[in-house]
Amino acid sequence: MDSLIAKADSLRPVSKRRKLDNGSSSKPKPSGSDDHTLHSINQHTAVPKSLRPTSPPPENAKSYSHIQNPKLRQKLTRESAHAARAKALVQDAELLLQEDAGGMQVEGEMEKTWRVGQDEVVKASGQEAAKGRKEWTLDGGPYRSRYTRNGRHLAVVGKKGHVATFDWQTGTLHSELQLQETCRDITFLHDHSHYAVAQKKYVFIYDRDGVELHRLKSHIEPTRLEFLPYHWLLASVGNTGYLKYQDTSTGQLVVEHRTKLGACTTMAQNHHNAVIHLGHQNGTVTLWTPNLPHPAVQLLAHLGPVVGLSVDPSTGGRYMATSGQDGLVKVWDCRNWKGAVRTWQARGGVGEVEWSQRGALAVASGGSVNVYTKPSIQTPFAPVTPPPLYLTHPIPHRPLTSLRFCPFNDILTIGHNAGLSSILVPGSGEPNFDSSEADPFENKKQRREREVKSLLDKIQPDMISVDPDFVGSLAPEPKLSTAVTENAKNEIPFARLPRYERLRVQGKADETEMMSADEAENAEGDDDEKKTKGKEEKEKRKMRGKNKSLKRYLRKQRKNVIDPRAVAVREKLAKQREEREKRRKAEAQGGEGERKPSALDRFKRAS
Amino acid sequence: MVKISVLQHAPSTHLPARPGDPTPTSRNLDPLMHPFARARERTRALNAVKMERIFAKPFIAALEGHVDAVETMARKPGTLNVVASGSWDGGMIVHDISLRRHILRVDEAHKGKISGVCFADEDRLLTCGVDRNVKLWDTREVDENGAGPSDVRKPLNVFPGKSAFNSIDHHRTDPIFATASNIVQIWDETKSAPISNLSFPTSIETISAIKFNLSESSVLASIGSDRTFTLYDIRTGKAERRIVMQMRSNALSWSPTFPTTILLASEDHNLYTFDIRSLKTPSQIYKAHVAAVMSCDWSPTGHQFVSGGWDRTVRIWQEGRGTAPEVYHTKRMQRVTSTLFTSDAKYVLSGSDDGNIRIWKARAHEKLGILDSRERAAIEYRESLKQKWKTDAQVNKISRSDFLSLFASVYIVADRQLSSLSRTRHIPKPVHKAGQLKRTMLEAQRVKEERRRKHTRAGESKPTAEKRKVVIAEQS
Repeated sequence: MDSLIAKADSLRPVSKRRKLDNGSSSKPKPSGSDDHTLHSINQHTAVPKSLRPTSPPPENAKSYSHIQNPKLRQKLTRESAHAARAKALVQDAELLLQEDAGGMQVEGEMEKTWRVGQDEVVKASGQEAAKGRKEWTLDGGPYRSRYTRNGRHLAVVGKKGHVATFDWQTGTLHSELQLQETCRDITFLHDHSHYAVAQKKYVFIYDRDGVELHRLKSHIEPTRLEFLPYHWLLASVGNTGYLKYQDTSTGQLVVEHRTKLGACTTMAQNHHNAVIHLGHQNGTVTLWTPNLPHPAVQLLAHLGPVVGLSVDPSTGGRYMATSGQDGLVKVWDCRNWKGAVRTWQARGGVGEVEWSQRGALAVASGGSVNVYTKPSIQTPFAPVTPPPLYLTHPIPHRPLTSLRFCPFNDILTIGHNAGLSSILVPGSGEPNFDSSEADPFENKKQRREREVKSLLDKIQPDMISVDPDFVGSLAPEPKLSTAVTENAKNEIPFARLPRYERLRVQGKADETEMMSADEAENAEGDDDEKKTKGKEEKEKRKMRGKNKSLKRYLRKQRKNVIDPRAVAVREKLAKQREEREKRRKAEAQGGEGERKPSALDRFKRAS
Repeated sequence: MVKISVLQHAPSTHLPARPGDPTPTSRNLDPLMHPFARARERTRALNAVKMERIFAKPFIAALEGHVDAVETMARKPGTLNVVASGSWDGGMIVHDISLRRHILRVDEAHKGKISGVCFADEDRLLTCGVDRNVKLWDTREVDENGAGPSDVRKPLNVFPGKSAFNSIDHHRTDPIFATASNIVQIWDETKSAPISNLSFPTSIETISAIKFNLSESSVLASIGSDRTFTLYDIRTGKAERRIVMQMRSNALSWSPTFPTTILLASEDHNLYTFDIRSLKTPSQIYKAHVAAVMSCDWSPTGHQFVSGGWDRTVRIWQEGRGTAPEVYHTKRMQRVTSTLFTSDAKYVLSGSDDGNIRIWKARAHEKLGILDSRERAAIEYRESLKQKWKTDAQVNKISRSDFLSLFASVYIVADRQLSSLSRTRHIPKPVHKAGQLKRTMLEAQRVKEERRRKHTRAGESKPTAEKRKVVIAEQS
């Protein structure tokens, strides 16, 4: 029996069980070499490959050596090492990006990029890139266009009902239809195999070959269409002023919102949070999600109808550009709607606006298209002057009805009265695509695979919100509190309290981790209440200090005799107190920088 | 002179070099290129837990052959597939569970019930019965006398005793075994009479089960009808310690990985693990059965154990987690009288009152058979997703996984109608009703206790921890 107990003690002593340590122990931790269990199994086993570290833990990983619970400590350390390693690997992966973005660079101050015409750009570009410069002269305009997500296929629609979809690189025509009624917009669905057309009365869905698949009768007199690829939602807005979401995987009409702002002809989506932006006749811009019956954001952007709207994909949807009939172009910060970041007057009236993947802003104004580039349009600038022009291209066929940048290419496609023209805008397209998201070179099998995969990963429509990071983050603080307060002591029976509260009532809760956070708070807070409270606590603690015996000794020595020993002890105590004070002050100034990371940090609220 | 460069993708780098080659892929890990990465991953995690529930088909097969309830089972050491079982009608069968056939079948091994079976070594099997005999059998398909599996086998040896035996266990290394009747007796395989008797002084009780410790093989544990749990050392020939508990235990099992941990299946619907170094309180209480627990067995990994109960369910527990075990049941399975983990920790056997031994998967959704590497990678990815997202309320609701209480309430609640305590797993209606009734009764008891405490002088009666209530007395 004794040998059995001895054997078990060597694995895990019974005194270790349910031990509540207060973190003051300074005894050395048993190192790995002393681990009996490890020794006993090490000879016969090999650690699985998946558990072996691929590299030594990175240096900048947080260390949790102060945490008592070994299991928790190990878990936290492993997680932080994993996170740090992943971060380092991501940085390494940037080296693997093969292609460089295009661009135009001037050498002297007198040279301007906007003086460069398309002929020069085409001459300077490679053979493949030069294919992007195209003019399609078509009847029945004005035309609108739309690219697929991988930028390979183009769909065009003319006002009079001419619809065509084609692979613009190879020139393969997928379908061409003469619908012979008013068509206002076109969009591809998840890929080029389906597309939706906003026709005179309803939205129609066609397949790649132009066969009519569905007539969506609930979308009445649609003017604009948007497809949310990760949610498989087709959103439409029309002359009736209703925003409708149709799930294209199940066919259900998910929700319809009455905007109450009349007919709407301007619509854009934020690619990073799937919020739909609508521009209205009275100059307001509204932001919609399926789960809210009212706009998430409503702002008065222009003194006149809004004609163009676009969200910047290069900054994660942080900036929005609007253009209005009042001739102004405005760039807004979507985190802070108090006034536009930059405003300028466009000459000759203004049409649509469009951001490219790398943050070039194209504005159709009058008879030309102007392109502006990134840092200047997004930095706050009070005067109403246009930012430095990057590129301009005149088009004699007014009106210019649509602007579309081609993803992963330096191409801007402009729809106008006489058809479409594609121009080259160096530096507008993202050079490196990710095959798992959108691949311009994918084959049939990959396309099918992607379709199935993205259906499996479909996000539910009610997950759309203005802040896309709410998934998997901390919930707002519950209003209902179970915390035990002085006056409410008897309200909730002991057995009904959560475990942690019960432990706190019993005084058994392990509050070593909370304590440090509290201290930091105390150091920051300047409230009088807090101070007095802290003082009270200090008074309380004073009675049971560590040096109780020392103090007793001093108390007993409190006489009119100058005992050198007592004096020495008093001096020592004073010194200690001073040091403590100094340390606390340093902590208060230094803030939380010195605080050790805690397991509970992940539950800390931002506010 | 303006320097102009226009982006162009060379098709040669992005298209396969020869027809039939895989298309080259390219990666860009910029988070802006992967919108909704978190939401999509959550969807994948949700799909993973849903798949787990969809593929949760734990039942594999039923081994027939016994006429009456299967009282006891034992696995052959060193094999994965051989299991011996004894039943109430005196029949003894050695099963090959991978081929689902009988290696040996003796219908009249004992008169009356067989109360214990255990393997002595590779081929020899010990059985004991209420007919006061212990018999030693050769389990090879054809024994030395040439008797086949279906022939009338004769036992190699018969050890006659004075009273009906309740349990038997063989020493790990030495050729000795222990039996339980009204006393614990130690037998030598070569002698026909017991070599020693062990009993706690001043105890008159029926010993219902005994087990040798797996690590320190001369330590023996027993449970008795006097609600006792006793520890013996066969070298000193004495009972070392004993505890008396609130209710009697029905089965016991030593942990295979931690030498001092023992698991007791109690009549009061609970299972208890004790660390025998401190017998005052159990180290963990396992509550979920709604009737007496009749049998229990550790997984060879020591991380899980299985229990079978009078409530007609088999439950698989995680060590150290006292609630929410996996529940297995079928329409036709009656009171579960014996349970067993196989040596590879992959399957669970349950023998019940209806005379069948059922084979279950230890992890209900596991896919059997050979996996190719891509499938294995997909499974591992799903597992890690489940692990990562287990604190999400919706994922957790489906998987009903770890800590419901603390983390589930902290993390975001995506669906409004979630009630974190609603148990979505289907269990038979009688079990469900019994659980409801039990909960009501316990709640009433609790309320009564609390009221009583409220009306006594403050501080006079303090609530006792549940763990403190289990053991009444500790003797040594």
